[in-house]
Amino acid sequence: MDFNGLSIDQAPPISAPLRFFLSAPLFALFAGFLILFSDSSALMSRHSMESIVVTHAITIGFFGFVMLGALTQMLPVLAGAKIPNVKFATKYSHLLLFFGLIFMLMGLLQNNTLLSSIAVVSLGSGFMMILIPIAVAIKGVTNFTSTVKSMANSIVFAFLTLFMGLFLLYSYSTNNISELHAIIANIHSVSGIFGFAGILIIGVSFQVLPMFYVAPKFKTFCKKRVIWLIPTGLILWAVLNVFSDTYALVAKLWITLFFWAFATTVWKKLNNRRRPISDVTVWYWRSASIFLTLGAFLWIFDEYFKHEYIVMVGILIGGGFIMSIVTGMLYKVVPFLVWFHLNAMGYMQIPTMNEMINKNLAKLQFILFITSLIGFIFSFYEPLLLEISAVCFIISAAILEFNIVAPMLIYMKIKKTEPDFDMRAFATKES
Amino acid sequence: MSTIKEFLSNDHGKCDELFATMEEKATKSLAEAKEACEEFIKETERHFQMEERVMFLEFETKTGMTQGPTAMMRHEHSQMRSLMEQMKEAIEAGNKDKFFGLSETMMILNQQHNMKEEQMLYPMAQQHLSADSDRIVSMMESMVVE
Repeated sequence: MDFNGLSIDQAPPISAPLRFFLSAPLFALFAGFLILFSDSSALMSRHSMESIVVTHAITIGFFGFVMLGALTQMLPVLAGAKIPNVKFATKYSHLLLFFGLIFMLMGLLQNNTLLSSIAVVSLGSGFMMILIPIAVAIKGVTNFTSTVKSMANSIVFAFLTLFMGLFLLYSYSTNNISELHAIIANIHSVSGIFGFAGILIIGVSFQVLPMFYVAPKFKTFCKKRVIWLIPTGLILWAVLNVFSDTYALVAKLWITLFFWAFATTVWKKLNNRRRPISDVTVWYWRSASIFLTLGAFLWIFDEYFKHEYIVMVGILIGGGFIMSIVTGMLYKVVPFLVWFHLNAMGYMQIPTMNEMINKNLAKLQFILFITSLIGFIFSFYEPLLLEISAVCFIISAAILEFNIVAPMLIYMKIKKTEPDFDMRAFATKES
Repeated sequence: MSTIKEFLSNDHGKCDELFATMEEKATKSLAEAKEACEEFIKETERHFQMEERVMFLEFETKTGMTQGPTAMMRHEHSQMRSLMEQMKEAIEAGNKDKFFGLSETMMILNQQHNMKEEQMLYPMAQQHLSADSDRIVSMMESMVVE
């Protein structure tokens, strides 16, 4: 039995998750500006360099960063697992990933092989530096709950996505595009979205929805079976894609069915929650549920229209589903971490969680974000909407950054004062 | 009779229900929530004492671990006691924003605390104290809150 998670002394320092959380909206800002200054026709194709760059600014830069940061915090609490050398791993992996991603985005945009080559090394080592310790921590867990199992599945898909991604980026850096490039790119994106992010969100929601909103618990079937049925569907889909494309639709329907069922379950659980409070985080869960349903069905529909709608599917699922949930969770996690670490250091006069983030600003951020997503969808029919949607997206990302920085500033300000009690025996080594 | 793990985990569920009722009433008016808040605090205090005065003591005697997980759990209990005190004050002062800010913090702190107990400490306690499980549960049931 591992008790590491029970001791705040061994919980990760606040800087471990926060450095990832603070960087994430910056990449969303970058993506927003790129959309604003790109030609709308270029963004209509998933294969254009602009689309690839925007996609990775969001997938790696935004939700990849937030999820990795959150995993360092969640593993000790949800699984009692201690990430080895967490301070070292988070500090240097963050640096490598941050600059690696910038090199990758610039390398692809400018077709600069040197930058892309540096990015291959930097992103590869950065991801390995954080994913391996996370995998080691999960391996050491003795109480293997459904949430931990889904985290393990998710990390396997993270490795698969990474290896395929590195191969694809290496192809660009050497200008050597293989025949299998398109198939690998397809499997890479589905593995990242549904395998890494999707399964992780589902597993964490088993705990988070009953915890934060006193919603009814998930049924045993969901917890025990679905976390295996989805990976099975994903592997089946990948195999069929390579060997028998005609039947890949069956596996696609399989995956879609479970994600749609998840979206519906989330909606119903929120309806039946015991906590009456309806804050911006509840709105984000609800919007994620709607966008996931629409995205999942459009993914099937798209099959019959020569993949004309695949970018729209990306916006609905990547932006509407994953980004919504990740942003909603940031609003819960960041102020709590600030409160928790200050309190553990002996400070008693700390603003409450609701005082750390301005509620109206959070609501405005939500409205602008959702407006931008709807605008992006309709800009397929009315390209003029693209610019205004990009502006909404940029402002929402800027507000989000502010909303994360604000609690951080409160933390720094209070930490400069003398604590009310001497709690050094319990305090974190570095906060 | 239920095991130590079942007994205390079910008690967490009861406290969650009382917490939800308190918040439900507070959305209407803080004055209405006063009684529900007192009820929640009373039951939570009872839960803390069942652990601190019975189960933790038995666990510490059996394993010899006095500065380990139980010390951390006691520390988190004291954090929550302080929050509950502030919640009561916010109700007295009629400050709704303050109350919901505190209740939000209490909710997350409490849930992550419960999770650690249910997934790590209780199974460990059950394992070490299984022979005395019935006795310990009945001691917790009959305990008088101080």
